Amino acid sequence: MRRGSIASLLGIGVVAGGIAAAVALALPWLPKPASNEADRVGPLFWFVIIICIVVFAAVAAVMIYSITHFRAADDDDSDGPPVHGHTGLEIVWTIIPTLLVTAIGIWSAIVLSRNDALGANVMRVNVTAQQFAWSFSYPEAKGLTSGTLRLPKGRSIQLVLQSKDVIHSFWVPEFSQKEDTVPGIVTKLHFTPNRLGTFPVICTELCGLGHAVMRTSVIVMTPAAFDKWLASQTKAVSSPDAGVAGKAVFTNNACGACHTLTAAGATGKVGPDLDKLPAEAQAANQPLETFVHDSIVDPNKYIEKGFHPNVMPATFGTALSKTQLDALVQYLISSSKKG
Amino acid sequence: MTATTVDHDMTPRSGGGWSYLYRAGWIRAALMTALFGFFGFGLTVGLRAWGGYNPVLLWSPIVLISILVCAPLGFLAGLGTFDYWAGYAIGRPTKPDDHAGHGATSWRDYFKVNTDHKVIGMQYLVTTLIFFVIGGMLALLVRAELAKPGTQYFDPQTYNGLFSVHASLMIFLFVIPAFAGLANFAVPLMLGAGDMAFPRLNALSFWLLPIAGIMMLSSFVVPGGAFACGWTGYAPLCSTHQPLGAVFFNQGVQWAGASSIMTALNFLVTIITMRAPGMTFWRMPLLVWANFTTSLLVVIATPFIAGSQFFSMFDHVMHTAFFDPGHGGYALGYQHIFWFYSHPAVYIMMLPGFGIVSEVISVFSRKPIFGYRLMALSLMAIVVLGFSVWAHHMFVSGMAPWLRVPMMITTLLIAVPTGIKIFSWLATMWEGKLHFNTPMLFALGFLSMFVIGGLSGVMLGAVPIDIHVSDTYFIVAHIHYVLFGGSVFTIFAGMYYWFPKMTGRMYNERLGKLHFWLTFVGFNLTFFPMHLVGMEGMPRRVADYAPKFASLNMFISLASFGLGLSTIVFLYNMITSWRNGPIAPSNPWRALTLEWQVSSPPPIFNFDEIPQVVGHPYEYGVPGAVHAILTPARAAEVTPAEVTTP
Repeated sequence: MRRGSIASLLGIGVVAGGIAAAVALALPWLPKPASNEADRVGPLFWFVIIICIVVFAAVAAVMIYSITHFRAADDDDSDGPPVHGHTGLEIVWTIIPTLLVTAIGIWSAIVLSRNDALGANVMRVNVTAQQFAWSFSYPEAKGLTSGTLRLPKGRSIQLVLQSKDVIHSFWVPEFSQKEDTVPGIVTKLHFTPNRLGTFPVICTELCGLGHAVMRTSVIVMTPAAFDKWLASQTKAVSSPDAGVAGKAVFTNNACGACHTLTAAGATGKVGPDLDKLPAEAQAANQPLETFVHDSIVDPNKYIEKGFHPNVMPATFGTALSKTQLDALVQYLISSSKKG
Repeated sequence: MTATTVDHDMTPRSGGGWSYLYRAGWIRAALMTALFGFFGFGLTVGLRAWGGYNPVLLWSPIVLISILVCAPLGFLAGLGTFDYWAGYAIGRPTKPDDHAGHGATSWRDYFKVNTDHKVIGMQYLVTTLIFFVIGGMLALLVRAELAKPGTQYFDPQTYNGLFSVHASLMIFLFVIPAFAGLANFAVPLMLGAGDMAFPRLNALSFWLLPIAGIMMLSSFVVPGGAFACGWTGYAPLCSTHQPLGAVFFNQGVQWAGASSIMTALNFLVTIITMRAPGMTFWRMPLLVWANFTTSLLVVIATPFIAGSQFFSMFDHVMHTAFFDPGHGGYALGYQHIFWFYSHPAVYIMMLPGFGIVSEVISVFSRKPIFGYRLMALSLMAIVVLGFSVWAHHMFVSGMAPWLRVPMMITTLLIAVPTGIKIFSWLATMWEGKLHFNTPMLFALGFLSMFVIGGLSGVMLGAVPIDIHVSDTYFIVAHIHYVLFGGSVFTIFAGMYYWFPKMTGRMYNERLGKLHFWLTFVGFNLTFFPMHLVGMEGMPRRVADYAPKFASLNMFISLASFGLGLSTIVFLYNMITSWRNGPIAPSNPWRALTLEWQVSSPPPIFNFDEIPQVVGHPYEYGVPGAVHAILTPARAAEVTPAEVTTP
């Protein structure tokens, strides 16, 4: 190979690698991390990206060089040199990729084992997935369930995941951790939130008609604020006041993720507007209380215009206790009359 | 036929009067489809009534038995796919060299049970292209819905059905059978064989395909809607939470899978037993090697997806509980069985493309393929390793955690034989005499896109990165770089490469190049941004998404419409060139492999005389090298100089 061709090969490779590196650096690839685990995935990601860019640049250089330098004229019927192979070269391009993927494998295995390792003072949260809602319960505050996941910053969290119907998958992009919820078995996921804020919880495994809207939020709070919230919620659930208890049931079961209810500050658009319950009950020709109760227990009984059956979970009738259900019905009636 | 070495009986079967009612053909096919359908209906209803089951008219078993099992069998029997075997079974006199249904002299012969591998190859290609166009339109409907956040045109069941049927058609009715079609045409010719080992089985495998495709498509008109659980059909969503349309998917996969297995067996026997004298394994063209290894994968792996779909269908229709945890089933079991096929299926959809690209790059670089033996061995390495990586689709599935690191290691190691192939193609081009005809452009397009798809595959092999991007648009981007930038580009390369041999006419080179550039640019604009939206947090298989992804999705949708339009150029070129293109010489690419040493299109029985193979198939530039000795082809327009190059 002539010296000039090596120089132009290198030149093309540097340009191709530069373009690829610019694409890699200019675009915001990974979301801003919010957990110790995501902090470990980031460097691994960049390590693999650098290897990818180098390989891509090498291939691009040889290809572009060949296309520009070895193009034959249309009427050129001659053949190229009859080279059948080169054992040394073949050994080189077997060994180098082997070494590169070995390095990636070792780094990945280390990150994986550290990300799975539970820290001291683990907090467990039980996650129940169903079509198409998440619910989180806190064994530390017995019986408390919530539709949004609230977590203290800096504590090692282990999610214990279960599904009531089909496979779902729990993902918080900012945590870079994900695990399926599988009916019939218990799965686990570990992460340590390290940034305050509200992040999306996304179902990433196709689970049916409402898959796209099976979302909620995770709110990472300071440990003090988290403890305060835990205490206030524990109190509200057992409150004798139907309004307070009903609102807690509404919030804890993530009703607001899909429904609008001004009194609860909920603005969901997936299901019917609960501020309009009286009008909807009238349209269905039912007393308001019966209408609200039946619509929770058997969501397909009345389908509002513009909405689809089988989207709302049909399990609230059995999942909620009679006290909780009554409190929720009373709360919805009083709130919708106001709204 | 003159000067043939075997006495071929070409007498067409005939009869008079009402014979068209019982003679093999479309009328008998229509009658027997209806007859078998009614029989299935009667059998199911009769047995239910006799057994006292209530209600007697239960649609899921009726539809399954009558429409999805019996009617297709009636269609196949009516068309005549079983006639020879049936005649043999009942003791009617048969002739082993009966060639009544061989070859094509008019377009009508393409609508018959034809035993000519060249005709079957064309049947495969035209059929799969039809499903490619339909599958592509479904994808454009998906992109139309995704152009804006929120739901615009489709309710969730229809939307989920659109992408599920899109993927199923593209995988089971386009990529896999299109490769089978190209190989059907080329492999026997390349081996110096007169036909495939089992021509009647070959005909049957083709006619299973339209059944599978129509079954998957018709699920849209089933009450409740099309199957809407993705082409992966995960249980228990697909097995117990779906309308009847899911069974159309389960059964469609069975018919396509049966076709696949029969073809693969046929290839294996053909390649092992029907090589021309002198055609040792180390003298076989790499396309033959690629189909040999692919067929091994098909024969070993496909029964697993058949099993998974039967179990899923049993859960749906018969209330067994293979995957229903409520009754003791194991939901993850489905994924293990499914991926034990569907990961090797990725190689089933890629290795034949490797073969095509090896042919094209060597011929259009005018150089021997670099490192021929290592190229063949790396195909075998991919076959072996391919069976040890399935659980990398399941890193977040909740399977036994210890499985992740071993599966990651094998997954990363597959990059090594794949890398060997890519570097060897580059080395083949090095210092060659490159001619950029359309097949070469698509081969180079494949090379560059497959490198990107392979590198994102390495990223996915690293477990922590995979955990982050699993089930996001990053995956959608990756599979399209591998299956579109990879497989589909090689299918286009193969179609343009063998077009002169198949049709006897040249395609329009300018339109071919236009098609390439529109596809190449449209493809990258469509699929590259998907990496980004996936990384940032957009899950796959959703009609609605967070508003922050709106502008990129609009961009992707617009690009995808451009990509869709590029197919019109391709179809226009194929159709007009097939009808009116300039007559093709027997060897327009000056290639050495055997299919180019006979006329275009080849004689009805391929070779007047079985060729004697004396050398390697890629000896471009080697003075005096000969691949095979054969008498010049009979067709008049072929000059001896063209036949005996170099």
